[in-house]
This record gives sequence, structure tokens and C-alpha cells, in this order.
Amino acid sequence: MKVELAKPNPPKVKSAKSSGPFSIMWREIVKDKLALGSLILLGLILIIVYGASLLLDQEKIVTVDLLSIYDPPSAAHLLGTDYGGRDILGQLIIGAKNSFTIGFFITIIAGCIGLSVGLCAGYFGGKVDNIIMRIIDFVLILPTLMLIIVFVSIAPTYNVYSFIMIMSAFLWTGKARLIRSKTLAERELDYVNASKTMGTPDWKIIFREVLPNLSSIIIVNLTLNLAGNIGIESGLTFLGFGLPESTPSLGTLVSYASNPDVLQNKWWIWLPASVLILVLMLCINFIGQALTRAADARQRLG
Amino acid sequence: MKKKSILKYATPLVALGLLLSACSSSTGGNSSPSNSKKVEDTSKFAFKVKNTKAAIDTGSLNYALVSDTPFEGTLNYAYYTGEPDAEVLQFFDEPLFSTDGDYRFTNDGAASYEMSNNNKTITVKIKDNVNWTDGQPVKAEDYEYSFLVIGNKDYTGVRYGDAIIQSIVGMKEYHEGKAKNISGIKILNDKTLSITFTQANPSLLTGLWAYAMPKHYLGNIPIKDLAKNDKIHKTPIGFGAFKIKKIVPGESVEFVRNDDYYHGKPKLQSIVLKVVNPKVILQSLKKGDVDIATFPTDQYPSAKNSKNFQFVGKNELAYSYIGFKLGHWDAKKNVNVMDNPKFQDVRLRQAMAYALDEKSVGDKIYNGLRFPATSLIPPAFATYSSKNADSIGFDPKKAKKLLDEAGYKDVDKDGLREDPSGKKFHINYLAMSGGDIAEPLAKFYIQSWRKVGLDVSLVDGRLAEFNSFYKMVEDDDPKVDVYAGAWGTGTDVDPYGLYGRDVPYNYSHFVSDKNDQLLKDGHSEKAFDPAFRKKTYDEWQKYMNDQMPIIPTLFRYEITAVNNRVTNYTVDPKDSSFIWSTVGVSSDTPATE
Amino acid sequence: MLKFILRRFLIMIPQLIILSILIFALAKAMPGDALTGQLASSPKMDAQTLMELKQKLGLLDPPYVQYLRWMKGLLHGDLGMSVIHQTPVTQLLAGRIGNTLLLSFAILILSYLIAIPLGIIGGRWTNSWADKMIVGYNYLTYATPLFIFALLMLFIFGFVLGWFPSGGSVDIRVEDGSFAYYMSKLNHLILPAFSGAIVSTTITIQYLRNEIIDTKIKDFVKTARAKGVNESNVYTRHILRNSFLPIAAFLGYEIVYLIGGSVFLESIYGYPGIGQLFVASISQRDFSVVTALVMISGLATLIGTLLSDIILSAVDPRIRIE
Repeated sequence: MKVELAKPNPPKVKSAKSSGPFSIMWREIVKDKLALGSLILLGLILIIVYGASLLLDQEKIVTVDLLSIYDPPSAAHLLGTDYGGRDILGQLIIGAKNSFTIGFFITIIAGCIGLSVGLCAGYFGGKVDNIIMRIIDFVLILPTLMLIIVFVSIAPTYNVYSFIMIMSAFLWTGKARLIRSKTLAERELDYVNASKTMGTPDWKIIFREVLPNLSSIIIVNLTLNLAGNIGIESGLTFLGFGLPESTPSLGTLVSYASNPDVLQNKWWIWLPASVLILVLMLCINFIGQALTRAADARQRLG
Repeated sequence: MKKKSILKYATPLVALGLLLSACSSSTGGNSSPSNSKKVEDTSKFAFKVKNTKAAIDTGSLNYALVSDTPFEGTLNYAYYTGEPDAEVLQFFDEPLFSTDGDYRFTNDGAASYEMSNNNKTITVKIKDNVNWTDGQPVKAEDYEYSFLVIGNKDYTGVRYGDAIIQSIVGMKEYHEGKAKNISGIKILNDKTLSITFTQANPSLLTGLWAYAMPKHYLGNIPIKDLAKNDKIHKTPIGFGAFKIKKIVPGESVEFVRNDDYYHGKPKLQSIVLKVVNPKVILQSLKKGDVDIATFPTDQYPSAKNSKNFQFVGKNELAYSYIGFKLGHWDAKKNVNVMDNPKFQDVRLRQAMAYALDEKSVGDKIYNGLRFPATSLIPPAFATYSSKNADSIGFDPKKAKKLLDEAGYKDVDKDGLREDPSGKKFHINYLAMSGGDIAEPLAKFYIQSWRKVGLDVSLVDGRLAEFNSFYKMVEDDDPKVDVYAGAWGTGTDVDPYGLYGRDVPYNYSHFVSDKNDQLLKDGHSEKAFDPAFRKKTYDEWQKYMNDQMPIIPTLFRYEITAVNNRVTNYTVDPKDSSFIWSTVGVSSDTPATE
Repeated sequence: MLKFILRRFLIMIPQLIILSILIFALAKAMPGDALTGQLASSPKMDAQTLMELKQKLGLLDPPYVQYLRWMKGLLHGDLGMSVIHQTPVTQLLAGRIGNTLLLSFAILILSYLIAIPLGIIGGRWTNSWADKMIVGYNYLTYATPLFIFALLMLFIFGFVLGWFPSGGSVDIRVEDGSFAYYMSKLNHLILPAFSGAIVSTTITIQYLRNEIIDTKIKDFVKTARAKGVNESNVYTRHILRNSFLPIAAFLGYEIVYLIGGSVFLESIYGYPGIGQLFVASISQRDFSVVTALVMISGLATLIGTLLSDIILSAVDPRIRIE
């Protein structure tokens, strides 16, 4: 079995390097119409969202107007208003910005921690692995919800950034477990042993040889996470511990649908946000698929 | 004691912020634009369900306990802590006294009473045909026993704090363990007992603890273990219209008719109570899954035109308010001290009240189910709620004028007023989170104050979670200048417990000799005369509106959705006493949409 | 192997002790206590009685005294008293935990039943129309918050179609222990379990699909094919075996997720369980319940991860766990 599982040797990685990983990624994306379209769409959305939110007066958008509560879409409010008479379109734009920022940074921070921890545990194995895994187990058993509640009740500020920090602190564990289990398998392979015998330093083996072989699963994981982390705050909003409404987010808009009246009769409040989340997710996914192929020479389209 | 409104978790109620409003403008000046009408619109909802058909004899009714958590299942009046449990309790146990429209005891219930001439002793006689559901008669010792439990040093519930219970002669000695019995409670015969109090208090007749506990059933359990006994959680008994047949913990209870009910055989054969999440209650009603349900405010607009069920409603025994922190609570001396200079100018307090358009809040945010509060006694106390308390309406011009007069002027021309000494004037406003409505409401108030030039922001920039809110309010956290709260008043009209000089719940810490005097008169011996009491409380309501240590903001309707097949259901307080024995259904199958 | 499992169990002890200290500190860091809510609603309580009551409930003792008292109880299997429910925590949990376990177990089974075939189809016939549908389905369910999805399911199947009961865990009118009773339990379980399962299939489908795509072009698979092993045997014998690795790695994680998700399902379907109890107890500051639940879910998670590791090593012998 071990023999069967043998992976291509380092040369594969080297050959990949020769044309540069970014140009390979780019080539893969351009070749895949879906991925290219997704990239363009995602770029457009982000430019619009980040650009527009600079121009929009956030204070005005979150201003409560009792005379226009639950207005359906009209010229004055293209996407209608919510139960505070606040413009949905404006909230959607600022919310998309906040949500993407949240999703992106949580993914990056949690990804970096999870990746390095998982690689170390898996590569070195033995005691290191054991200690790291027990720490991960411990983080896993912490009551996230309660920590967030304590944080919300005693911390002086609760905003996008503190939210990113607290979520990242919990979400790296899943990634670390996954990476570790893959690395464990990887390090038994001949190419790692060969490098070791040749005296290549561990860090080089990890980053130059093991990491590229894991790139496929890492990209899938990060893509999934990025997609999933957009709107991550909606569950907390449902429980009453989400971001304050003065910080609109897609998750908050979606969770308005937990009021059955909104869900059934006031589509303009939750549907655009839901569709936007879905579109962002799909874009990220299609790009991710192309990247996965780029990372694994055998799957490439060309 | 019954039906305290629980202003807490998760229900839309929780939000409670608010402000005062509408209604006649008080201290002279121009009459304000929104003064249009008085809001005593109690006719907005009928008390009683409209169904003229006769009830069938084998009817079964589905009652929804509208809650997003299970009921706790502490099924005893002396121990329960959450409103859901109280809703379960009402079917199988009830107070000894029936009550009238002012929640005063009457003699039609399970017991009759008589006050002594000096009004310090009440003699209670339990009627002969009143029996526990296990067949044993309800005796005088059962009533005494419930006082013995609550006063016991091992008692773990929260009822002992009540001032009336503590004013029973000999209660303190018993509570401290110095006496075996309460000397003020005398059993005269099997069915009669007398209770003597250290002072006469007209609130006795609304606020006296009125629940008996089955001594023959619970008496041999040590009091320290009583709360956790299965006889309270799983197999409780009472003498109400129904008895428990089965409990599925936390989610449903099946009741069957108590044929032996002292007020006549109940019309329904059985009642099934089940917990229904507020989010699906409308669908459940439409489908006919439930016949009776307290209805959440936020879904009212989409429900009001439903065909298969109707709404009945009444004024709730509660009000929302905004309080000013005028001082602090001295815990050592147990007294309120009014020493915070920030809001001592009454014109500033009134201006903040004039700035708020409460009518719009009630109509738009609460879908007409709340309306501007005019005083600190809600209209649910039909007799005592004053209609001429000089309440403050919405009048931003007047607000600005008052602020100008008081010296709060915009000296640096940034659109916000400075204090009279010219320094920046910033107000920290504390409001509670919970429910959809909380955030826009708090935001709306802040905007309204800003419109008259006051710089207000939320404490810590966000709504406070329930417990944090109370901690900050109770501890007089210096971060808090103004806070939005709500009180459920209970059935006792006496506001002393919330505004007295020596009560910790006087969170604004407003004290004055006149206030002391009026509150004292209100529960003095003289106040056994309802006319005197009404006069006193009228004066007090007006006085509090003039002083404005608290801005009363909103009164509420409590609405109940009732399936068209239900007969005789009413929320009229004067008919509340035997309600479950008279309710019936006119058909085996519920009306559906 | 036995030694390994034993060692892991021993390591759980310090982990749980640290957890208990942390959870206790957190509980104390939250403002308010179990009496706050009760008094806010019924302010008939003088300051002195309040103090007495706090004394009686042990709320005035220094935190370490409270901690030690709690630990001592814990060692005797006593989780303390719930102030809100006025009942021993063990008894309270005994009444609720069965529902949550049943629901979680049903969700787990259902979600694997749905996810594994879909993942395999997606991986085997990549880029086919079926695969595209699966990816679409996957993202749709991933993008939908559980509570919204549960509400929708309830509206459609509970109310509009009326196929399933709209709430509760059992019909109160059937007799305990009878055949009808178990059928009623099952009937009440289906809708919440499906709602939970469908939303939790994403990760499994995605990883399985991806692993298969990864594995099927690996040399050993090619070798097998070259040797003439027929295509379905290639999949069952060679590819799937390797592809279950990441799923096994996530089992421990699933448990946390299920307990988290049960909060929403239990609330919306009026299904009394511990997820909802946890959230309510935090809000009500019913600390003995909170601490007990954290300890129990902590223990469950640790055992879950241990299980993951054992399965991992069974699936992939290269991962030795000695």
C-alpha cells in the first residue's frame, strides 16, 4: 500500500515553480470560462461594494425613519426598507463590505494558524503532535457561544475587528486537524524520506515539498471557509449576540428572515442578501476549483 | 401576585425602551401638534371572544404557551420563577380569592374574607365544597402552610421579600427561626383562619398572598427539599378547574376536567397545553393547531385580518419608561440619595420628554399595540390610572424652548447644546437588547434628542444584554445617565415598592418629602376609602409628571388570539377568576383558514 | 492501541480540569446572577431578603470556595441545583439529554446517508450535470442559515402540506411506551432531523468529492486500472477507502457542530433539549446548568476526537497512533 501511494517526486514541484505558481493559477483561471467569469464578477462586486461604501453615508443609512417602516422597493428605496425604516440597499452594500471583510480575515487568520499548527503536528509527529493535538482538543471543547457572550457583555467595544479576532480564535482548530491528518500521511512518503536523508532542513521540506502536495486540500478548505464565513454572524444574530445593527452585515440582513412575516411577505429584506451571499460563495468556489487544478499538475486543463 | 409580567428574555417585550408622549401638553404653552387625541382607546380590542354557539360537552382545547424556550416546570405558586410556569399553573391551581376589575379580592371565590374594624386582621373562610384534586378538602391549615413555607429559613424561592408577607405579626420571628409558628396566623377551625398584620394597608386586598398549598400532600417533605420534589415538578395538585393528566417535561401538559370544581363543572373535557415558538404561532393558529395563544406584537399586522381566529385584548399591567439617574442607592443605610447634579434641572428632564414622539413609536414600531403613556399608573388599573395627570406630549418646539430657558445653548455652533456653563453636554443612554424592536427604538430616541440639540449616545456604543443592563442600573454605574426600562406592576396598584425612599428599585433615586407623603398616604389606613386613595394617586401621578424623574413612555395592549370555535373566553380582569371553567368550544374541530 | 486509548483518557482529566476552572471564571465574569432576572420581573424584594437569599444560594462566597464546592459535588456525581428550575441539574439534564442525543444521532446518520452518495457521484463523474447539481445544492445549503432553513421546512412540511407535526417531541395523548408512542416520537423527529441533516452535508460532500477527484488520478489507481480491475471495484476498493480520511478527521468536529445546531432546531421545533437549555441558562445566569453542560459537551467532544483518531488510523494504517 505504501508503495502504491507513492507520490510524484520533488521534480514535479520544481517544474511547477519554473513557470511560477501565479502564472499557472492565472492560466488555469483563464482557461476555465466559469472561473474567469466568477473572478470578474467577484472583482466587480468587491469594487462596487468597497467603492460605494466609501461614498455612502453610513450614519444616514442606519438612521431610523418611522414613516417608512417596511416600505417595499420604490424609487426612494430601491430595495425597500426594514423594520426601522432603514434603506436595505445601503445596508446591503455596507453589509457586504463588512461581511466580506469578516469572512476574508477570519479565513486568513484562522487559515494561517491552522496551517502552521497542522503542518508542525503532522510533520514532526510524536510528542509535538501529541501536545499540539491535545491543545486543539482543548480549544475544541471551549464553549464558543459563552465566550462570545461574555465578551459581548464585558468588552468595551464590539465591532467587526473584535468579532474577527474572537471567531478566528476558535475556527483554526478544524483546519489544523485536517492539515495534520494529511501531513501525517504525507510524511511517510518516499520523497520526504529522501529529502531527509539528503539533509534538507525540515522547514524546507515542509514548505517546499509537503505544502505544495497539500495545496489542493488547503485551497478547497480555504475556499469553503471563505464562502462559509461570509454570513457567519447570522446565527449569533438569531440568538441575540450578533453585531450591533449600527454595523450592518449580510448575516444580519438574512437573519431578519427569522421573523416569519418577513420571510413570507417581505422578500426585499432578506432575499438580496441571501442571493449575494450565494453569488459570492459560488464565485469563490469556481475560482477555488480552478486554483485546485493549478495546484495539482495532473488535473490541469492544459 | 399573580401574572407578573415578565419583562425579559427573548420575547419582543423585552425591548423596553421608550419615551413618553402624546396627550395633552402640561405646563401651559402652546398646545402641541400631536395632541390630537387621548389614548384611552381601550375599546380597540374586545375583552370577550365572539361566538354565540353553544359549547359542546366533550370539547378539547389546545392552548399555546408561546415561548421560544421550554417551560421550567416548577409548578407551584410559591416556587415558580418564569411566566411560562405561571401559564401552566393557572389551569389546575388558583388563588383563594376571586377579584374584581381593580384586582381587589371579592367574596365569590374559593374563600370569603372579612376585615376587622381596625383593618389589621383579615379573617378568611374557605368554602365547604372546595377540594384538592385528590379529593381532600382545602383547609385553613393549607393556607397557613403556604405562609409557613415562604417564611421558613430554608425556603429557596423569592416570595419572602414581599412587604405584606413580612408585615404579618410574628413572621420575622418565625423567619429567623425563633418561633415554630407565625403568631399572627390563627386557625379558628378547619376552614377558617385569621391573619393579623402589624399595620393596616389597603394593598392587602389586592396584594396579599392568596395561594394555599396542600399540606396533606407536601407537608411531610422537609422544606429545604420541597422545591426539587417530584410532587412539585411532576405530580402537582391544586383545586383549579382542571387537573393534570400527563406532563411531557418542558413541552406539553394534558389537563382533564376537574368534575369536582367548586364553581361548577368546567365546560371543556380537556385542555392540551403545548409550547409553541413565537415564530410559528401565526401558522399554528391558521392551521387550527392551537385555539388560544398570547400573540407577539411584531406579527400582528399580518395576522389581524385572519378569518379563523379573532383577537381579544386588554391593557397590560406594565409600562415602559425612561429614567434619569438622579443620585445613588446607599446600601448601608438602605436609602436613596439624590445627589447627582447632571439632571437636577426639571426643565431638562421635561425637554427630553417633549422631544419624543411616542405616538408614532406605538403606531409604527409596535403596530398600534402600544400607546403613549400618560402617567406611572397604567390604565389596566382602570380606577386609579389618572386621566388628568398633565402628561407631556410630543412637542419639539417646547423642548427647545425649555432647554434654552434652562441655559442649555449651542454656544460653539456645532448643532449640539452645551451645558449652562458652556461645557460640552453629553448624555449616555442605556437600553436593553432583545427582540427586533430594541435597536431601532433606541436609535429613534437618540435621533429625536439630537433633533432638539442634545448629544446622546448609547453606553458603550451598543445595547446592553439583559443582565448587564440590570447590573449597570442597579450598581449606579457612572457610565449611565439615562436608561430605558419597563415595569410589570403586578396587581397591586401601590407604587411604593418602585418609588419609595427606602426601596432599591427606585433606580432613578428620586426622593422628595412630597413624594414620601403621597406614597405613604396611598397605603395608609385612610386609603381603605377608595375615593381618598384615588385622589392621592391622582395627585401623585401629576406630581411625578411635573417632576419627571421618570418619563413614562408607553402603555401596552396584551392581545390573545382565539379560534372562532372557542366560547366564553374573556380577558376582562373582572371575569378572570373562573375563566377556565366557563370556556368551551362549539365544535370538535377548530376553524381553519 | 489499548495503551493509546488509556493514555488519551488520562490526558482528558487535566483538560477537563482546566476547562472547569475556565468555565467557572467565565461564569463569574458575566454580569448578574440567577436572581437578576427573577427580581427584574417581580421587584417585591427588600434588600435584606435579597442578601439572605444570595447567602443561601452560596452566591456570596468567594469564587474559589464556590468552585471547590462545585468540584466536590462533581466528584460525587452531583452537578448542583438549578436555581431557575429549582431542581437538581442531574435530574434536569436526564429529562432533556435524551432528546438531543436522539436528534443529533438522527442528524448524523441522515447527513452521512445523503452526503456520501452525493459526494461519490460528484467525485466519480466530475463536471457531469449531476455533479453540477450537487455543487449547486451544496452551496445553496451552505449559504442558508440553519434557522431559516428549519423555518422553511416547518412552513412547507409542517403547515402547508401538513405531513409532519409542527412541534414538540411526542404527542402527549399517546400512552407512554406503547407502539404508538415510539411512532409518534419518530414522526416528531423526522422534520427537525432532516432540517439539520441537509444543512450539515456540505463539508462531507465537498471533501469526499474532492478527495475522490484527487485520488482517482493517483498512480496506484492507474496501476489498478491497468491491471484490469473493473471500474466499480477501483472505486470501492481503492479510491473510497482513501477518501474517507478527511471525513473521519471531522467526526469530532461534527459533535460540536451538532450541539451548536441543536440550539436552533430545538427552539424552532419546540423540542426540549440541551442546546436550547444551554442558551437559556446563560441568559438566565443559571450557572450550575451552564457549567454542567459545558463539562458534558467537553467530554463528549474529547471522546469524539478520540474516536476520530481511532477511525483515522483504522482507515489509513500509515497514521500510527502508538
